Amino acid sequence: MGLDFGPDTGTDGNIITTTIDKVVNWGRKNSLWPMPFGTACCAIEMMATLASKFDLSRFGSEAIRFSPRQSDLLIVSGRISIKMMPVLKRIYDQMPDPKWVISMGACASCGGVFDTYTLIQGVDQFIPVDVYIPGCPPRPEDLIDAVLQVQQKIASGASPKGVEAIL
Amino acid sequence: MNEEKEVEEQSKPLVLEKLEANHADTLLAQDESRGTVVVVVRKEQAYAVLEYLKTDPELAYTYLVDVTAVDNSQMESELIQFDYARFMVIYQLYSYQGQCRVRVKVPVHENDLSISSVTGLWRAANWLERETYDMFGIHFEGHPDLRRILMPDDFEGHPLRKDYPLQGRGERERFNFDKQNV
Repeated sequence: MGLDFGPDTGTDGNIITTTIDKVVNWGRKNSLWPMPFGTACCAIEMMATLASKFDLSRFGSEAIRFSPRQSDLLIVSGRISIKMMPVLKRIYDQMPDPKWVISMGACASCGGVFDTYTLIQGVDQFIPVDVYIPGCPPRPEDLIDAVLQVQQKIASGASPKGVEAIL
Repeated sequence: MNEEKEVEEQSKPLVLEKLEANHADTLLAQDESRGTVVVVVRKEQAYAVLEYLKTDPELAYTYLVDVTAVDNSQMESELIQFDYARFMVIYQLYSYQGQCRVRVKVPVHENDLSISSVTGLWRAANWLERETYDMFGIHFEGHPDLRRILMPDDFEGHPLRKDYPLQGRGERERFNFDKQNV
C-alpha cells in the first residue's frame, strides 16, 4: 500500500502517511474484474483457473464480467480471426479506463501455428497488450502469474499500455 | 460394417444398378471408396440425378450430409479425365432406409462456375452451398441467399482455391476498422 510511518511525533506509530494514488492503486490491484474473451483451447485453461482447483479468487480476480463495461482486465485467450478482430476491438473500446490486457497463449500473442490468411498474427497489432503469456495452451499457473504481474504493474503506478499509447 | 461389405461383394449396389438403368447418359464415371459408391455426373443433369436419388422410394437418400468442392487445378490426372474441369462439386448423401452412403461428384469448368442449387431438395444445403461459394467461388443458381458465411462480407477472393496464397494477400495485417460496421 506504500505505507510510510510518519515522523516521530510522539504518537507511537498511530499516524501513517501515504498518497491518494497509492491507496487507489492498492484498491485497483486487488479487485481486478476480468472480461474473458475465450475463443479456443486457452479458454478451457482459463475456466480451470477460475474453478476451485486453481481458484483465481485467491488473488482478488474472480469477479468475471461478461459485459466489457463492468470490467477492467481483458483476457484474450485463443485465436482471433480477421472477422473476430473488430468484435474484440469494440469490446476493448467499451471497457472503462484504466484497463489492462492479457494476451494468453501463442495464438493471441503471435498467431501460433496458424500462419494462415484468416488469422491475426498477434492481437497487439490492434489493441495494446500489457502482459503476454507463452504456451500452447498455457497452464493455469501461467495465467495466475500473468494476473499477478498485472497487479505488480498497477501497484508500481505504471500506466496501462493503452494509456501509454495515448500519452 | 462387415455386413455391409459382404452385401456389396455379392452384388452390385442398388444405387448403381438404378442409376445405370435410369440415368446412364449422365454418368461420367463410377467408383467405390471404402464402401461408398462414388459417381461422377454431368453438371446439366446433376439436379435431376440428385432429385432422383432423394425421391426414389427404393433409394431414399433423404439426408444431405455435406456439400463441398475440390480444386483440381494441380491434379493433372483428374483434369485429363474430366475435360479439364477445374472444380469438382461434391455431394455426400446418406439413406436411412438403406443405411448406405453415396457420393455424387460434379465437374465444374472455371469459365462457367454456376450450378443448380439443391436447397429445394434439402434445406440443409443452404449453409453448405454458402460455404462452398465462400471458399471456392462456385455459384449456386436458385440459392435463396448466396452470401459469404465464413469470411467477412468484404473479403476478396476464395481462399480454398489452390492459387490463393496460404498466408493471404496481406488482409490480416492491413485491417480497416472504419470499414467494419460493428
